[in-house]
Amino acid sequence: MTVDPEALLDELARRHARGEPLDVEGTLERAGDRADELAPLIEAFLARAPRRAASPRALAFVRSLDEPPLVRARVAKAVRVDDVVDAIVEACEIRLDARAKVRRYYQQLEAGILDPSRVAESVWDAITGLLGRSRALLSAPPGPAPAAAPMYRADASMVLQERLVTVPAVEPEPPDEVDALFLGEPED
Amino acid sequence: MRDARDAEDTRLLGTGEIDLLLAGWYETIVDVCVAKMRGPVGEDVAQAVCERLWKELKAGRHRDGKLPFRVVVYSVSSWVCRGWYEPGWQENELFDLDGAAPDETERVIVELTLEQFVATLAPGDGAVARLYYLDGLEPGEIAERLDKKPNAVYQAISRNKAKLMEWLQT
Repeated sequence: MTVDPEALLDELARRHARGEPLDVEGTLERAGDRADELAPLIEAFLARAPRRAASPRALAFVRSLDEPPLVRARVAKAVRVDDVVDAIVEACEIRLDARAKVRRYYQQLEAGILDPSRVAESVWDAITGLLGRSRALLSAPPGPAPAAAPMYRADASMVLQERLVTVPAVEPEPPDEVDALFLGEPED
Repeated sequence: MRDARDAEDTRLLGTGEIDLLLAGWYETIVDVCVAKMRGPVGEDVAQAVCERLWKELKAGRHRDGKLPFRVVVYSVSSWVCRGWYEPGWQENELFDLDGAAPDETERVIVELTLEQFVATLAPGDGAVARLYYLDGLEPGEIAERLDKKPNAVYQAISRNKAKLMEWLQT
């Protein structure tokens, strides 16, 4: 049912005066086919309305503006890393014992260490669904190349007091479904 | 025309509390962008607006106080909303600090405030509007505060609603 724009604007102005969230999206939906009439009035109202106090959530968002986009979006939605990880595990039907690995990969993705273009569409769907942001906006460019390896003096002397112990080389595990989701399918 | 909003913004700019300054506008920016874009994409756009404003504030812009910060907020929001669907917008670097800044200092935004709307009303209706739109009181509380009959308050609110619509369309 379409609600009269005058009544909706009045409701919105009252929410503003009480310091409540305005829910502009919901208000426009309720206006139905009169949304185009209401939207400019809301804009005009907001441009002329008194300043609101900064909420803790808004402050946290602003303070995250120097962070990579994924972190910003997560902070803006007040979502924890574990919530995103749970969403990915559930949406991609990943076995629960691989959750820790998903978490590590997700944190690398957040930090811009992981190339976002190699991450599977299903993972992005889970993330964008939870954070309410488009993939384009969330995709941080790959992080800077690692710094050059440290160089040591060639004549540095080292005296070993302990006998060297040889450790058998650990066979790397073959890539699994989680690797495939975050690193792309392994090349043959 | 400056108002109480500008005084607080100027104070925050002066003390360098730019995080508090922008945070005070964050929800308004989201609401404006959702209204302009007619939907949830407005939240993406609002993020881009905040990024631009944050970069500008960190670069020391707007500290001269030539324009109230609310005017800068509104201008940047309008500018980003208009450009959002332009081809290549999201692929390119979003912000160019050295490029042309949005210069549409819309006079109406500088000069019109809700306080002024209240001032345009007849004294009785204005007193009701102030408590209703600026202080967020309920009609019953307004009647008590102004020592009026509830019915008189409801009639004033009804008149004010229509006048607010008309004033916002000017």
